[in-house]
Parts: sequence; C-alpha cells; structure tokens
Amino acid sequence: MRSKSRFIGAVEIGTAKVAVLIGEMVRDGTVNLIGFGECQSHGVIKGLVTDFKSASDATHSALLIAEQNAGVKIDEVYLAQSGGHLEGFYNQAAASVNAADNTVSQLDVDTVCRLAKAKALPEGRTVVHHIRRPFQLDGKMVGPNPEHLHGQRLEVGYWTVHGSESVIANSIHVIRGFNVLVGDMILSSLASGTMMTTPQDRQHGALVIDIGAGTTDYVLYRDGGPSVTGSIPVGGSHLTNDLTLGLRVTEGQAEKLKIRHGRALTMTRDKSEKVWLNGDFAIGDRQFSRRAIELITEARVRELFEVVKKKLSAELVPEHCAAGVFLTGGTSKLPAITDAATKVFGIPTVLGEMPPGMDDKLNRPQHSTVLGLLHFGLQNRASGGAAGRQRSRGLLQKLFTGS
Amino acid sequence: MSAPPDDLPKTRSWRDIPQEIAPRRMSTVGRRRLTMGAVRTLATVVALGAIGWGGFEIWRTLKNDPQRLAAMSDSRPLEEIKLTTDGVLDDAWLRRTMDLDPSDGLMELDIFALRSKLTASGQVRQAVLVREFPATLKVLLEERSPVVRLKARLGGPDARTFLVAHDGTVYDGEGYETMLVRSMPWLGGVRLIREGEGFQPLPGMEQLTDLIATARNGVPRRYATWRVVSMERMSSDGQIVVQTTEVPEIIFGVREDFYSQIARMDLILAETKRRTAAPVRSIDLSVGAAQVPVALHQPPGNLPDISFPR
Repeated sequence: MRSKSRFIGAVEIGTAKVAVLIGEMVRDGTVNLIGFGECQSHGVIKGLVTDFKSASDATHSALLIAEQNAGVKIDEVYLAQSGGHLEGFYNQAAASVNAADNTVSQLDVDTVCRLAKAKALPEGRTVVHHIRRPFQLDGKMVGPNPEHLHGQRLEVGYWTVHGSESVIANSIHVIRGFNVLVGDMILSSLASGTMMTTPQDRQHGALVIDIGAGTTDYVLYRDGGPSVTGSIPVGGSHLTNDLTLGLRVTEGQAEKLKIRHGRALTMTRDKSEKVWLNGDFAIGDRQFSRRAIELITEARVRELFEVVKKKLSAELVPEHCAAGVFLTGGTSKLPAITDAATKVFGIPTVLGEMPPGMDDKLNRPQHSTVLGLLHFGLQNRASGGAAGRQRSRGLLQKLFTGS
Repeated sequence: MSAPPDDLPKTRSWRDIPQEIAPRRMSTVGRRRLTMGAVRTLATVVALGAIGWGGFEIWRTLKNDPQRLAAMSDSRPLEEIKLTTDGVLDDAWLRRTMDLDPSDGLMELDIFALRSKLTASGQVRQAVLVREFPATLKVLLEERSPVVRLKARLGGPDARTFLVAHDGTVYDGEGYETMLVRSMPWLGGVRLIREGEGFQPLPGMEQLTDLIATARNGVPRRYATWRVVSMERMSSDGQIVVQTTEVPEIIFGVREDFYSQIARMDLILAETKRRTAAPVRSIDLSVGAAQVPVALHQPPGNLPDISFPR
C-alpha cells in the first residue's frame, strides 16, 4: 500500500552525469525500483562540487525527471560520496570483559566499539563511515554480535572514512536546495561493491574498483565485510584529456576516439594503421594512428591501477582476494580492461555483473552506484544502521518538505 | 571493566552538518516544493476548520430547523457548463467527453469521475471542476502544447498521427489548426511503450523541446524546413539528428548550449550557399565549437576550400 511506503531517492552526483533512482521501500523490507532520472553533470570536477548553481541545476533536473518518471515525490535521499577528499584510517581497541563469569555483555561491546571509534580528526574533517571489522575474543575471530560469548579480552577495529566537511556540506546543500533531506550518505565504492559482489565473494575476499568519469573508487572486502576503501581523483575523463593533448583534438573528438578505438591493452602492432575521426569524408575529418590511441589509453589505465595497488599496498594479498577483482563504472566498458587489471594486480579480474532480473535500462556498469545506494541503504536500515536509527519526522516537517 | 571514560575525543559525523538551508539558496523547484508544503499545511488547517464549522452548522440547523436542511439539499438540474481553457479544446469536446445526463442535478454529479474522464485525454494536463449554484458547472482546463508529431499504431491496423508534448506525453491532438500540426516536425528514433489506452511518456523531451524552441525563435525560416527530428542517438551519443528539406542530416549535441549550435548552423548554411553550389549533405555540430564537420554532395577529391569564421 502506498501510504505505508517511503520513497527513497538514490543520488549520485558524478563528474559526467547525475543519476537518480527512486525506490519504494515497503514495510516488509523490500524495495521496488519505480523511477529513474539521468542528466548531464555540470559544475562537478573530480567528484567535487565546484560550481554550486550548475551542480544544483543538473541535480535538480535529474531529481525532477526521476520524480516525473515515478509519479511520486521523494521523501529522503541517499547520497553517494566520492572524490579525492576522502581518506581512511584503521583504529583498533581492546577491552577486558567486565563480568565475573567472563560473559560478554552489551556494555562490553558498546565500550570497545566506542573506544575504537574515538579518534580525533583534524580540523575541518568529518566522518562519513565507520566500517567495523570482525570482533575478536581472546584473539579469535567471532561473529558480528559477541554478546553472551565467554572470553576475557574483546577487540574490534574500525576503518574510518572521513572527508572534508566543506565538500560534504556542499553536496548536502545541493540536495537541500530541492527541499528534500539527505537521509544517509554512502561511499560510492561501498554502494557499487554491494551490487557487484555476492556475500560469498565478500567472504572469500574481493576487490571492487568503480571507474567513473572523474574518480575511481575501490573497496577491498575481507572476511565478509569491507576492510579498506578509497577514492582517487582519476577516471575516464583523464583518458579523454590525455587523448586531447596527445592527438591535438577537441574534447568531444577525443571522447569519440576513446569510445570507438580506445583499449586498455595495446593490440595493434602496425604503426601505419589509421582510423578516421568520423569516417564520412567530411570537412574536418582526420586520420589518427590506432596504435597511438591504444598506447595513450593503455598508459593511463595502467597508471590508474598502479595507483590503486599502491594505495592498498600490504592490504592486497592475492591469497586473501580469492574471489578476484571486479570492475565496474562507465570506464570499465573499455576493451581489454580486465586483462590490464589482471596484469597489474596479479589477480583474476572480471567485469562486475548486476544481479539477474535487472531492467535493461539499469543493467549497465555506470548505474551500479545508484542501484547499490538503495541496496546498501536497505541493508543498513534492516541491520539498525544509521538510516534506521533516524528520528521519525513530525507531521509539520513532512508537510513542509513536500513529502 | 567499567564504561569508557567520558573524555574520549568526539568525532564529528556528516550528520552533524546542519541541513537547514535558507529558501533563497534553494532552486526554483525547491522553493516551489517548500511553498506547496506550506500551502498544503494551510489547506489542511482550513479544511479541518471548515469541516468543524460545517459540522457545527449542521448540528445547529438540525437542532433548530430540520426542514431547512432538507430544502437546501434539493439542487436544480444542470443548466449551463462554462469552459475556460488555455488551449484549443471547445464546448463540443467537453460535452462529448463528459457525456452527462441532462436530467442530472448539480449535486448528483460525480466531480472526481468527471475529472478522470477529462484527464484521460493526454491533451489535458489538469482539470478543475467547480459547482456554481444553483445550476452551473464550471470547468477549468490546462492543456498540453504539442512540440512534435509522430505516427504509430494503437488499437487498429492503420498508423495514426499523435502529438508529443514537452513533458513527453504522447496524445491524440484535437482541435488544433491543420497548419499548426503540419508545421511540426516528425519525431523519429523513439521506442513507444504501451501503457493502458495510450503510451508511456517519452524520456528526454525537455532537451528536444529546448532545441526546437531555440530554433523556432532564433531562425524561424530555417526551422520551417525541419522535417524529422530523431532521438535515436540521444542516450548513446548525446545527439539529436535533424533532417530538413535542405540538409539530410544536421547533428546537434545535447551537451552544449543549443543557441550557439543553432547560430553556427545558420552561419554555415548561409556561407555554404554563398560560396558553393554543392548542396550540404551533413553538418555535425556535436563535436564542439572548434571544428564543425560539414559534408557536401560532391566527391571528396573535388572539395572547395571553405573555412568559416568562428
């Protein structure tokens, strides 16, 4: 029944596009995808809002299209967060079990969690996610809830992701300009990682790399949950930029060449093999060396994977990444990109696939983040996460937000 | 062990960032949503007040003069229907669509059912029906404006002409001047999806409407030659392809301002006509302002040297 539903808008404000997906969350915990809107992005560079008005116009257009498509008004937004301003660190804490019979109580769990999360951040930084790693009781890994187990020393670690407060505030205010509240903020990498991997993959260990236009987000799963996340301000638009400079063409022409002839691994041996820009013999049509295009794109893709590998450093061990590397995002459509990733990481790489039964319109790698936002948000809510703990809004607030 | 000390450093979460925003910082859409929320609140308060007051009046009338209430509920048969519209629909269409029984009293009319009948036509965006006592029904219509036309089969073997509004609604146009319909270009390269008795709204029409409005206002003489606009490459390449009586293919990019693209097209067509007799086969305005590939109906080896000022 509609009156018992909430309409959640999953919003990704990317460098190339703004995507909005509306999900109808019903009381039984399921989500129905009912509307989608997409718009060319403006005023966003490398995942950061640099022109508030342009970014707002583009985002609000996408929100409006999605609302018209769904025929409903959005109640709240789950916002994807990406960009080079995001950083992460690991902090671990331990506490002795309080009870005389060494039974772990909820107070012990809360205490050790609070200790592990309590680390001061530099001025101007704010926490986006606290990602908890598995509990350890007397040095042995235990489940997500160690309450009532017996032991003496309880340990837990958190991977804390923090970002620039001003950058995050800008993206929140872009959404608030549409007069709708941001209900949850989710890392792009966690969103797309949730869509691309199964619980079994995450248990065996998997690395998910989401290569967007302006940023590349990655998440490393171990022991069933996210272990390390990161975001680097390099993406598909840098490939275009390299072609623009290397071949002395306009950005539009470079984009065309990248899509039609770019490859992540050079295949062409013949230096004299040429490709046409348009192929219609029109004025302005030119020829370019196919090998040169492939060399340029290969170099940038290899560099991108090298940066990810360097950022993960000791965390990325092939034995702990048995499920392999999963690639997603718009740039993952580049031919031979899985081979390039396999070459750099030394781990089998595949293109991430959406769960079966997905609508054709959404079954594309560039939409994995918005789909994952709803999926992750729903999981978070079900597990009593941040979204689920929100104070319910009053009648007046609901009326004024137009929901 | 005891609870952790209270002097643990406080980590600031993104949830601590205030989400309040001044209305002046909101976009037009945001402000409209805020206003609608306020109006809804006011309307709720007024409606509750009216219900309360009405209930009190009925109670008072029942208590003091019950005969008066019975007399008030008798309404006269409908005598007049007043139509106000911002479009082209007329009284004949209204009467045909509403299909009223002349003996119906004003109070017997099911306003919601009548409104559904009116809005079932895609041409009507909004319909407001007001009872004006003693015997008049006032109908206010807000109509959609057509942007392009298309041919499709719906419920029969023959293809029919439909009109498409700027919000993507596909509908049977009624009451429009034949000249107006003929002046609209045909729409191609779209996939129509059946929904009920009609079609689902077409996505991406806002950008196409923007292009057509820019062309119609900026270069009306050129726009008059537009025959087909195709959205086939819109989602994949971000291109709108226009076929005119002069040029078989003009490609517009949706990523750049249409005004400058239209201006470039006009300049190229004028300059080409001035410098060469060869007709233009294709103009690609989607690759940016620096270079515009132009193809002429002439062998490649015999091209005139044409360069246009930027």
